[in-house]
Amino acid sequence: MSTVLEVAAIRTVLAGQRLHDGVGFKVNKGEVVALIGGSGTGKTVLLRECIGLLRPESGQVRLLGESVWDLPPDGLDALRRRFGVLFQEGALFSSLSVAENVDAPLREHTRLSQALRDEVVDLKIRLAGLPPEAAGKRPAELSGGMKKRAALARALALEPEMLFLDEPTSGLDPISARAFDNLLRTLCDSLGLTALLTTHDLDTLWGMVDRVVVLHGGRVIADGPVAEVARIDHEWIRSYFTAHVAARGTADGNGSGNGIRG
Amino acid sequence: MTEAGPFALDRTATGWTLRLLGDWRLANLAALDAALAGHAWPEAGPLCLDGSALIGLDSAGLMLIHNRLRAAGVAWPAVELSGFDADHLALIRLVTDRLAAPAPTPPARFGFLARLGERVSGAAAELPGMLALLGQISEGLLGLLRRPAGFRMREFFVQLQSVGLGALPIVAMMTFLIGVVFAYLLGIQIEKYGANIFIVDGVSLAIARELSPMLVAVLVAGRSGAAFTAQIGAMKVTEEIDAIATLGLSPIKVLVLPRLLAIVVAMPLLSFFGDLMGVLGAATVAASQLDITLHTFFTRMRDVLPLDTVTYGLSKAPAFAVAIAFIACRNGFAVSRDARSVGERTTATVVTSLMAVILINALYAILNPAL
Ligand SMILES: Nc1ncnc2c1ncn2[C@@H]1O[C@H](COP(=O)(O)OP(=O)(O)O)[C@@H](O)[C@H]1O
Ligand SMILES: [Mg+2]
Repeated sequence: MSTVLEVAAIRTVLAGQRLHDGVGFKVNKGEVVALIGGSGTGKTVLLRECIGLLRPESGQVRLLGESVWDLPPDGLDALRRRFGVLFQEGALFSSLSVAENVDAPLREHTRLSQALRDEVVDLKIRLAGLPPEAAGKRPAELSGGMKKRAALARALALEPEMLFLDEPTSGLDPISARAFDNLLRTLCDSLGLTALLTTHDLDTLWGMVDRVVVLHGGRVIADGPVAEVARIDHEWIRSYFTAHVAARGTADGNGSGNGIRG
Repeated sequence: MTEAGPFALDRTATGWTLRLLGDWRLANLAALDAALAGHAWPEAGPLCLDGSALIGLDSAGLMLIHNRLRAAGVAWPAVELSGFDADHLALIRLVTDRLAAPAPTPPARFGFLARLGERVSGAAAELPGMLALLGQISEGLLGLLRRPAGFRMREFFVQLQSVGLGALPIVAMMTFLIGVVFAYLLGIQIEKYGANIFIVDGVSLAIARELSPMLVAVLVAGRSGAAFTAQIGAMKVTEEIDAIATLGLSPIKVLVLPRLLAIVVAMPLLSFFGDLMGVLGAATVAASQLDITLHTFFTRMRDVLPLDTVTYGLSKAPAFAVAIAFIACRNGFAVSRDARSVGERTTATVVTSLMAVILINALYAILNPAL
């Protein structure tokens, strides 16, 4: 099985604080991998380093055959067309309608006619599980779950090979969260997508993820299928998997300090 | 058999076979669409889609096939699939399933008349909001009279500092330079008649009556009016206004009144400061170009500039201030929850306040013809 993403020996220092101290893991083609860890362990930061938004102190990120941090700027732009990102808050353009949001990357990176782009936009909106009528709405008029779906539609616009998702189910009610999980799994399986997501949602872990990577104290302390990782005898992992009620659905407050810090 | 690049349409014993040959992915979508469009479709008969010779297929490419076949009268479930691998079959199942529901009718594009009507009714819809804010501000002010301790002193002084103190350098520079330019131009004309001393009359009247209050109003509208709208608008976007309200505080008391009073206090002071700097600029030019010493200049000014004119000029400032603060706060609260709206409303604040300032200025001139 070919490797789509390989992170090796990542070290990160932010605001004088050591966040990652030699983080490494791989994601194979077609896999859905979850990155877990306490709030403030640097999951979001690691994701941003994988997609070329934040340069790590040292270490390697190989994504879709390219070394992200050795690419010239136009090489990075070309690479960015091959993966999609779902930011934690959706990051939809608030002054554009849903359809215009999905159209934005198509308009920028393809030379399709408006009519053809409209057809592609309609398809992506449907693939993301939104009713076609949602196309004309502004992000402010959408519920949390619909916002995530609209952002997903935009992330799918350029037929990406890989998806990065930062806490896709945070802020959703359990029913919408499970529906979103199912949608994501279906899309990954049917479109042949590889996905790396961060999450605090135990149901996501048990329900749809192939593999879990646990970040703790600046290192990867466990990497494997959920059932195996949950059995590991480590203090943090044990409390994480037993803290069902406390952990379920909590949003990730950046550095709010309720998690264990390394 | 007909062949057209990325696909081939063959007649078979039972019906038709559409063989996909090329790379059916987003990058080639335009070319694929053109190839499909330039092709005559068979009238009827069962269709078989053959993917054994495919190079690549993604959801956009599949959508194109699906939509073009549907337009040609071939509904999807009737299509027989052959030669696709398991990945492609999964993709086909998902995409055709999602595309099964009919496309929504695109929203009608509005004509000129409809847009005009929308603009007019939009402008009319502003009115209730403005009246409501006016009422809330009046209520807040009355509440303040009854209970002065509720006033946000700290916020008031913060605003006073940024509206007043912060504007001093730019007010000084602008009014001084306008004084210089005005005296210089007037001086050239006056010199021809040997009436040098009258420069004092002209300059001091113009600056005290019109130039200084107007210039200060323009500056404050651009600096502080825009800032008020952007601050309140950004707080609206991040739901801070709602947070203030749910904490049992009044956004009017916390945000509007301190700003309103700060600007009302600051603008007359700035106008007076502008009077001084403008006259100083004019006196400098008079001394260097027209041989009028500073002493002569200011002695003459005491005789020809009545106190009434100065107070008339300064009395405009609070009226300008109220208009600017009201327009700025109204636009701030009218921001809807998106980023563009903040920009639009900030622009509207500056443009509307300038119009209001000019109108008020004209009103003052009409009501005080004697001066
Ligand atoms: N740009 C930045 N500059 C400085 N510190 C940052 C920056 N981004 C994140 N941090 C800090 O890094 C830590 C990890 O953040 P984050 O990756 O968001 O954690 P999480 O695992 O909860 O997603 C936090 O303490 C955060 O405050
Ligand atoms: Mg995070």
